[in-house]
Formats: sequence, structure tokens, C-alpha cells
Amino acid sequence: MSLFHTLAVYGREARTQILSTWRTPQFLIPSLALPLLFYGVIGLGLSHGHEEAAHAMLANYVIFASIAPAMFGFGAAVAAEREAKLIELKQIAPLPAGAYLLGRLAAALALVGLAVGLLGVMAYFGGVVMTPWRWAATLSLGLVSAVLFALIGLNLGLRLGSQGATAFANLLFLAFCLFGGLWIPLDVMPSWIGHIAEVTPSYHLGQLSLMLSGLKPMADVQGHLSVLVAIAVAAVIGSRIAWRRQAA
Amino acid sequence: MSPGTYAPPIAVLQKTIKRRGKTLALDGLDLAIRPGQCVALLGPNGAGKSTSVALLTGRLRPDAGEARLFGVDPHDLEARGRLGVMLQEAGLPRTLTVREQVALFRGYYAKPRPLDEIIRLAGLEGLERRRCGALSGGQQRRVQFALAIAGRPDLLVLDEPTTGMDIDARRALWTAVRGEIARGAAVLLTTHHLDEAEALADRIVVIDKGRVIADGSPEAIKARVSGVAIRCRTRLSDGDLSALAHVTGVSRDGGRVTLLTSSAPATLRELLARDETIDDLTVSGASLEDAVTRLVQTGAAFPQTQRQIEAA
Repeated sequence: MSLFHTLAVYGREARTQILSTWRTPQFLIPSLALPLLFYGVIGLGLSHGHEEAAHAMLANYVIFASIAPAMFGFGAAVAAEREAKLIELKQIAPLPAGAYLLGRLAAALALVGLAVGLLGVMAYFGGVVMTPWRWAATLSLGLVSAVLFALIGLNLGLRLGSQGATAFANLLFLAFCLFGGLWIPLDVMPSWIGHIAEVTPSYHLGQLSLMLSGLKPMADVQGHLSVLVAIAVAAVIGSRIAWRRQAA
Repeated sequence: MSPGTYAPPIAVLQKTIKRRGKTLALDGLDLAIRPGQCVALLGPNGAGKSTSVALLTGRLRPDAGEARLFGVDPHDLEARGRLGVMLQEAGLPRTLTVREQVALFRGYYAKPRPLDEIIRLAGLEGLERRRCGALSGGQQRRVQFALAIAGRPDLLVLDEPTTGMDIDARRALWTAVRGEIARGAAVLLTTHHLDEAEALADRIVVIDKGRVIADGSPEAIKARVSGVAIRCRTRLSDGDLSALAHVTGVSRDGGRVTLLTSSAPATLRELLARDETIDDLTVSGASLEDAVTRLVQTGAAFPQTQRQIEAA
């Protein structure tokens, strides 16, 4: 099989998945509307005159905006396609396993990119001031964090039925946002929540995001990154096992 | 004799054993499909048809024995490139149009059919722009068929292909399958409709309890059940019926009973004498369905004596 053919298969799969996502308003609208609406009302509306708060919220919201599309796009959608025996047909077809998964990832990233980009535009016009590289770094981190949440979602999607995966993804989504301090700063919450935060990827990503956007000094970057890498490795291994098991 | 009798087989299950949960789905099953053959795999529910198909399409691996497709592991990408599959319960993405979905699958193959040819062969003209989610069950089956033939496969696996189709759609699909066979493709067909097997297959393999109990041309299978089928409504029990003179098999379908007999006059005389309420009586030559039913009944009782391997 030629390299060109393989690349074309990957490309078409990604394009089709993006198209399919675009045509699913029940998934598209909440993924975009939730972070944008929250940010518009709370971040810009209520914090008027306190640019620092709008700035900090942006740093947290780029992570928040990446969780739902990545986890639901990979968790609930993979589970639903598995239930509809769509994946089975793709596993028989001469399609490399990676093409299906990367296609799904591309669709999730496209949606996250749109959400994060729109957040950035809102923040810019709402008065948040950063140097260009800080803008780029903050928004890119939101996009990159989607990969990690997609891997976590994939574990749910390959292991649970479509109902179960949706419910579990919802639960994790809320836990990540709340305990990760993305919605409410951790220092105004009880201290025990801070301990839970340590094990959520959203907390570490949120901290890195605050540093990249210049609100916190760079500190313990290695610590945050090692937790994130550990979670990513565990998720990759977990999803490999689950994929093999259903392909066997 | 089918055209590919002496060519090397393209799909092989050799002494395959597969457990599914506590049941032994395949119990040393042997099956070889040669180029250009249309093989119908028949048998009661749970006989091992779906498991055989899953093994040959690489979705399951045998616990023991071997599954080979085009001489390699069925999971191999090269083998999958020469295979077209229509699964029994596969879904379609609701949000994509027929044309988009067919174009996507066609793109997986190195030398696919032209898109318009696939649409025409599968009878999907006029439906190209419809979303798959808005199609009827029969139309969705046609899209599944389109996906199966998109890569001009050398082996076409059709698992209950006409479920949910009306009569016209069934006949159109049969015509399309015959076209694939004429092109040189081998076909593996599983079906509950014996008329479908008779219309398409040049070889019938009857399996039960995970093993082959008969294998031959439709004529040869029917000839295995010499005799006549008596159909009627009767109040006699199965035990009474099988005790009648010359009866070789008893089966029920709703309220009607089918008796296979080697001497219709003798059986009829006794039957009419034993049950004066008898109704709805017909006498005809044994059909393929009668033959398969009978083979399954006796094959289960005497697997060794009834077994005939590679009769084709």
C-alpha cells in the first residue's frame, strides 16, 4: 500500500469526521456555547473593570473549552459508533486502526480550536492584554490539552456502552472543571478540594495555563508536566488494551 | 461442479475451535472456499454461522485451528483489501449522506470501483444525497451492500443480506450478487431464506453445533433426502407422527407439520386413518428447506455417519 494512498485515507477519514461533527448540533452547540456564554457573562460581564479576573478566567477557560469536545467526541461518540457496529465494519475494511482514531481526534481538535479561538477573540475585545507569544502559548495549550482529554474519553468509549460513556464523561467533565479549579479558584474553596485537584489533569493544565498567560510565575513546571505525562501514558496503555480486546 | 473446484482456496477454516462464553460455537469446523464459488452457509440459530463469518473476517480469532484469508491472517491489511463484507447488524453514520459514506469506504481500497458504478449496482440512484439516518431499513441494507462491493472484492461475505428488504429489492440484490459471481468473485452467504440460498449458491454447507454436517451442491443436498414431503395440519404429536410408516423426518412451522417420507402412499394411508380431522394437506417433492431440516435433525443424532466433507 503506497504512502500516498495511506495519507489519503487518513485525510478523508479526518475530513469525514469533521463533517459529521459539524452536522451534529446537539454536540456542537453545547461544546461551543457553554464556555463562550459563561465567559461572556461571568468573565467579561461581571468582571467589568477587573481585567485581571477576565484574564485569569481566560487561562482556565481555554482548558475548560477543550474538555467537553474531546471527552464527548471520543467517549460518547466512540461508544455510540461501537454500539451501532460502525467500528466493526471499519475494523474489517482495509483501514488502518490509526486512521479512524486520528480522524476522530482531528474532528475534536477542530472543534476545540474553534471554541478556544472564539474565546480568544472575546477576551481580546473584552480588554485582556497579553504579549503576542503569551496569547499564542495560552490558546495553544488549550488545543494541546484536548489530546489528553481525548485519550481519557477514548478509554470510556471503548469500555462502556453509549449511555454509560455519556454519563461517565459528564461526571468526569464536571469533576475536572470543579476540582481542577477551572470555574472557581481553588483558594476560595475548602482545602480538601485542593487535594483532589492534585490528581486531576485539569488542575495541572490550568496552572500551566496561568503561567503561560503571565498571571503566575513559572514554578514547578516539571511537577505539573510529570503528572500530565503519567496520566497520558496510562490513558494510552488503557486504550490500547481496550482497542485490542474489542478487535481480537 | 463449480468453476473453482480445483483452484487453491481463498478462504479456509481448518479444524477451528471457538468458545463463546460457555458454549462451544465451533467444534473443529472445516470450510474451504475457492475462487468463483458461491457458498451458502446454512444451519439453525446458534449453529456457528456468525462465528464462522467473524473468524474469516478477522473479527474473532480461533481458540484452536486456523483461519486463513487469501493465504494470510484475515486480520492482515492486504487480505482485508480483497474482502467485502455486509454484516448482519452493522449501522451507518446518521449524519453522512449515502454518497459521502460510499465515497469514504471506496477510498479505503487501492483499486476501488467508480463511485457511480457502485451506486448503480447497489440500486441507490436517487438516494445519493440522503442522509443515512433518514433511510428505511431496506435502503440501509442496500448502502451496506454498496460498501461491501466498493473495493471490487475477490471474496464477498454476505451475512443475512436481504433482511428487511421487500421482494423487488431482494431480487435486485440477487441480480447484483450474480453479477459479482460472474465477475469471478467468491461469495460466502449466510441466510435464513432457503430460497435465497437456492437462487444464488452453487454449494451448500450445512452446519450444526459448530461442525459441518453436509456439504454439496443444492441438488446433491436435496438428493440426500430422498422422498416426498407431506404437509398438513394435524392433532397428532411429533412422536405419533414419526412412528408412522416410512416417515424419515418431522418438522413444524407454525400450525403446519412437514413429514418427510420414503413412501407417500403408505404414510398417507396411516396418517388419514389415525387422524380424521386432518386439514390443509399437500404432497410435494422435498425442498431444500426440508433437506436441511432433516440433515440438522439426523446430523445432530449421528454426526459421524452423516458427515460428508468437501463434497463440492
